[in-house]
Amino acid sequence: MTNSSALEKVHKKGLFGDYENKNEDKLIKISEEKDFLILQIAQYKNSLISVHNIKVDGLVFNNESLKVACNNDTRILWVGPKNWLLISRKKDLLKNIFESLKETDFAITDLSHSRAIIELEGENSKEILKKGCPFNFDELKKDSCLNSVFHGISITIDMINDNPNKIRLFALRSFGESLYDSITDSCLEYGYKNL
Amino acid sequence: MLFIKCPYCGDRSQNEFAYGGDATVKRPEINKEVSDKDWDNFVYLRKSPRGKHLEFWHHVSGCRQWFKIQRDTSTHEIFKTFKVTEEI
Repeated sequence: MTNSSALEKVHKKGLFGDYENKNEDKLIKISEEKDFLILQIAQYKNSLISVHNIKVDGLVFNNESLKVACNNDTRILWVGPKNWLLISRKKDLLKNIFESLKETDFAITDLSHSRAIIELEGENSKEILKKGCPFNFDELKKDSCLNSVFHGISITIDMINDNPNKIRLFALRSFGESLYDSITDSCLEYGYKNL
Repeated sequence: MLFIKCPYCGDRSQNEFAYGGDATVKRPEINKEVSDKDWDNFVYLRKSPRGKHLEFWHHVSGCRQWFKIQRDTSTHEIFKTFKVTEEI
């Protein structure tokens, strides 16, 4: 059995929008990211364990709002008090996580197949998001994240890099195609390249 | 655009939030005998003040936390926001 990705039917490679007579390297690049391990980790309210003593893939859970703890393969996003979203290329991390995080203190939910992930890269990436999201993106720095809405769709935004801007968007898989359409419509005036 | 300061996330647009009702209403004590009238008042009776009001709000498209807001119902001015466990 093969897995089909959330945007498989809509994401086509090529150049779109107002891309003519523009430097292809300067265009916004859109890609669908897949094959991630995505875990929602919630610490129970009555749990007294300090998360600073727990390490997953060498990363410590951050209790600071909107911050991301990261290395090359794994990112741990703060999504609320005692709530994190772990994104990793290492699928075998799951076993390690269940050993590190006791089920009496943490609720761990595997969301790997329930999210559509869109990655935007390019200097105008923030301008695209400003069209549909009320957050002040000028304040968004590298390795920070937030939950917000884009044209009414709840999304998680992860700022991976700021030179050039590289932003990863997560939405519920069922909203993936709608989000993709909204994002690509917003990109039309700048021209964009689908990878 | 109206901004609400979430105690966890900071200033965010009002359309990320949902109103959650009057925060001054106290639930009758658990396991204590409650008259039908008191229960009816708790469930249905709400004041509709003009001016300062204490309200529950939910950061539904953000950190998904409930918190309290002290807000002027006529001007929409927000005086203070604080966590559910905190008192004014």
